Amino acid sequence: MIQNAAKYWAVLKLTWIRTLEYKANAFVGLFAIISGIAIEYLIWIQIFATQKITEIRGFTFIELMIYLYLSIIVGQLKSSWQTSQEMIDDIRNGGLNRYLVRPISYFWYNFSLFIGHNSLYYIIYGLLILIAPFIFPAYLFQNYFHIFGFLLALILSIFLSYSVYFFMVGFAFWFGEVRSLITAYNLANVILAGQMVPLSFFPAKMQYVLSFTPIPYLVDFPVSIATSRLDMSLWPMGFLKLSVWIVVIYIAGQIVYRIGIRKYGAFGA
Amino acid sequence: MPRYFSVWLAFFKNSLTRDLEYKANFIGGIAVDSVYYLLYYFFFYTIFSYVDKLGSFDKEAVFIFLVISFSIDAFYMFFCANNVYKLNDYVVKGDLDFILTRPIDAQIFVSFRYVNTYAIVSILFLLPLLGILVFNSHYEPNVLQICLFILSSAVGVSIFYAFDMLLSSLVFWFRNFSLVGWLSYEVLKFSMRPDSIYTGISRKILFSFVPMALISSVPTRILLFEDGLHYFLYQIAIASILIGITRLVWLRGLKKYESASS
Repeated sequence: MIQNAAKYWAVLKLTWIRTLEYKANAFVGLFAIISGIAIEYLIWIQIFATQKITEIRGFTFIELMIYLYLSIIVGQLKSSWQTSQEMIDDIRNGGLNRYLVRPISYFWYNFSLFIGHNSLYYIIYGLLILIAPFIFPAYLFQNYFHIFGFLLALILSIFLSYSVYFFMVGFAFWFGEVRSLITAYNLANVILAGQMVPLSFFPAKMQYVLSFTPIPYLVDFPVSIATSRLDMSLWPMGFLKLSVWIVVIYIAGQIVYRIGIRKYGAFGA
Repeated sequence: MPRYFSVWLAFFKNSLTRDLEYKANFIGGIAVDSVYYLLYYFFFYTIFSYVDKLGSFDKEAVFIFLVISFSIDAFYMFFCANNVYKLNDYVVKGDLDFILTRPIDAQIFVSFRYVNTYAIVSILFLLPLLGILVFNSHYEPNVLQICLFILSSAVGVSIFYAFDMLLSSLVFWFRNFSLVGWLSYEVLKFSMRPDSIYTGISRKILFSFVPMALISSVPTRILLFEDGLHYFLYQIAIASILIGITRLVWLRGLKKYESASS
């Protein structure tokens, strides 16, 4: 077990070091957050001002901005574009052979890469999350339980997100090219996970449909904990559902991978 | 000019053949666009359940604006989007060497080599939809407005291209700028909102240094509102400056280019 963990820890460290060499990425990551919240600010301030309202669905303007600020950050943290691309290329071009002959799990190996690639953003976005309670002390992390709950939910949601990507990438064994599927999923996530509008603003039917998917647990759940929008009595059920989704998607991903690997022709290797 | 057109036609035929060989990709591209359109529609649908107007844009105007934005995006996708971000790879791998030796302007080759043929499907869907939306709305654009709208949309596409090309050309200085697509996506998001939400300093920036508001909002204003003409002249002026800067940056960048193997 410890030996296994050491292998993946080494991969993670190497990727981390390589990622830190490209510091310009941090600038783009930071810009993505600032531009994202600027657009949301401009549109919502006009809505609040023209309608002369003080709150929408329980959100005051500041609460809404803080929710969206955190949602955009969490949304970026769970994105796995680079690792997904590399996995698709491995399957299409035969690069997967390198891993089949090694005593490693393709899932966990790529998970280490995923964490490593995103490590720079964890630092930058971690700082952005850290400064937020000092700017808006009454709105975020009202006690230590909220900090702990948010971190736990965030870690689980990042793992869930990676598992979803792994599951989708598995279809490359059959279709070869699933970049469109990943792009469509990323685009859908921006809105459906709550990065542009809180989920509670959606029409009731839409919320009902989404409640049967893992989407609310990717962004809305951790952010609702951090902003105290989710009562603590509802946390256990939320964590339970999140864990169930992780198990379901993880198993589905492993099944797709195991069936897919039998079809794998190692073309291009 | 006719020579360049015939070269582009050859690019188009080649791209169509390639794209049709990978049918899943072709269908996937259409599916991604459909998801993109639906999501923006859903976003503004949600917004308009809380508000009647966004500045001078009412619900009808915003949905027309959206279809115009999608159409401009689709035209840009068709002509340039598959090319501009490849500049990074050309520079990193040294493939630009081969492009520079060809008997064609290198910027034109880099910008138009691969035609995104699946965008034709989006265009064929969006243009009739735009016609239906305008026809069924309370707006009644006259012939002059429609003509100016078509010209303004073309200028919008050129601003889109110039901005993307400008960002991509920074690879000559950074040596590797693989995140240009992400950066561009984040900036271009500003063009996907009607300009009426931008006020004060944001409006000044988005109408000048980062002219995102000129890509889709101005064509929409020209088509629907009567205050469009002065916006059109302004849009042409900014587009000309931006294209000029893009050309200068490209030429300066080429002087800095040392080839990947050197």
